Amino acid sequence: MNPITLIARKEGGELLMSGRGLAWLLALSIIMSVLSLLLVSNTELSLLDNAQVVYMVMGTVTTLGALLAVVLGSDAVAGERERGSLMPLLLAPVTPSQIVFGKMGGQIAGWVVMYLLSLPYVWAVGSSGQNLTQAVTYLALFGTPVVLGFGFLGIALSARLRSVRSALLTSLITLMLLASPLLLGPSLRQSTIGQLFDAVNPFSAAVNTFDSVVIDSQPISMQLTRLSIALVWLVLTAVFAIRSMRKMEI
Amino acid sequence: MLIEIRNLKLNLGTHAVLRDVNLTLQKGQIYGLLGPNGAGKSTTISVITGLRAPTAGSVRVLDLDPVADSLHLHSRIGVLAEQAGFYDWMSAGDYLMWFASLYQKNLDKTETAHLLSRVGLAGQSPAPIATYSRGMRQRLGLARALINQPELLILDEPTNGLDPRGRREIHDVLLDLSVNHGVGILLCTHLLDDVDRLCTRIGIIAQGRTLLEGSIADLLSAQRAAVRYRLRVDSTDETLRIPDDITLLARAGDWWHVEIASHIKPAGAWRKLLDAGIRIDEIHREGGGLEELYMSVTEAKEAA
Repeated sequence: MNPITLIARKEGGELLMSGRGLAWLLALSIIMSVLSLLLVSNTELSLLDNAQVVYMVMGTVTTLGALLAVVLGSDAVAGERERGSLMPLLLAPVTPSQIVFGKMGGQIAGWVVMYLLSLPYVWAVGSSGQNLTQAVTYLALFGTPVVLGFGFLGIALSARLRSVRSALLTSLITLMLLASPLLLGPSLRQSTIGQLFDAVNPFSAAVNTFDSVVIDSQPISMQLTRLSIALVWLVLTAVFAIRSMRKMEI
Repeated sequence: MLIEIRNLKLNLGTHAVLRDVNLTLQKGQIYGLLGPNGAGKSTTISVITGLRAPTAGSVRVLDLDPVADSLHLHSRIGVLAEQAGFYDWMSAGDYLMWFASLYQKNLDKTETAHLLSRVGLAGQSPAPIATYSRGMRQRLGLARALINQPELLILDEPTNGLDPRGRREIHDVLLDLSVNHGVGILLCTHLLDDVDRLCTRIGIIAQGRTLLEGSIADLLSAQRAAVRYRLRVDSTDETLRIPDDITLLARAGDWWHVEIASHIKPAGAWRKLLDAGIRIDEIHREGGGLEELYMSVTEAKEAA
């Protein structure tokens, strides 16, 4: 069996069977339940329309997915180094890129479970129906490269920095910076800096796409630039992770 | 030659960690790499295993360049690193089977049980590794290092945390590998007793430099001053003439404290005593040996 598959199976098993993985899924369920309840109440009161509610759930799932990815990524190398289990892996006949992609296998498993878990909530808040297919499709199409990119970023920082704490802190700050457009008001987002930031920010690309397709019902042909930004982010972070793993100090 | 290192130098940033390391290890040999803390032993191992590229000098392991051919090299060597970490949630059996598959080996349950029993962990397979003591983890680390039937075994403090029986069992495993299977073993340790019992060749490094390298017997005879022994002899006849090369320091009943001149080997001294009509029942070395050699070499370096 390919080393990538072997490491991915181990990582996935460790995440999904461990107390940590189950705690994460429980936390996700609670957050999504509370959020959905609030959003459905707002819809009932006509404070938000159905499309806006679906858009907000998609943004939240992507943010939580990215958060899970940076937490797992930060632990992937630095955590193993601290626990002494990295050295045997480096001394096995496995390349640094196989280790990186194997580690990502665990994160993909985590993201898939999270995505599946979010579907009932998307259905619940978007039950009037017309946005449901777009929501499910675009969450997979744009959420996946953004979330996995954060996973690669976490792995890269985890290989370069010597402790899990430093890697996690740096990854979280990066996530906050990239996710900050969600917190900016409309005027700031339309300023030159806001627009420039939006143009290169993969997180903005995903969130703006959710906005365009779910609220404004635009076709996918108008989202290709944003899709490219998300994919470039994924490729760049993957290259960064592999290079970091190769140059890692033992 | 399994390992051949000549004039190895390694700089980390501006700091010279290894300045001039030399080491040769042949098939079936057990080589003790000795030195004080921070001497560069673990760094030398990281160069041998291809985890660090040397700044200068030549390093060949199994006739391969450890950095350029690292994948091939890793498939042929076994390493027990100083910090032996595992996936604690797995059982030892599952862990070994998973680790073997990284080497494209399918280890079945019988083979796993055999490997565990070889390192003294028979019957421990189902328990999670988290429940293991330090000594058990060392044993499991050795089992992991043996998973690919390596031609070269590199062990960093392998008997750390083991009780005397455990140490003896690990010694027996290593001697069996070396003598019966021709495996070359590089043993990095602070325990001179391990080296005395296992190694035929040693290298002492300090401050990133090899101070001494060679076979233990040659080094001891070259470095040794007079060595003291305690003998139990079957003779109380005080008129017996003791050979000139042997000085009787004291006697208490059957027990003699003697000193042997540096230019003769102990076996030769015992023969001279027998020829002189003195029958020897027991011999204990009291001084000299590896510990004294190690202390004299490292103290001289520190003084310099």
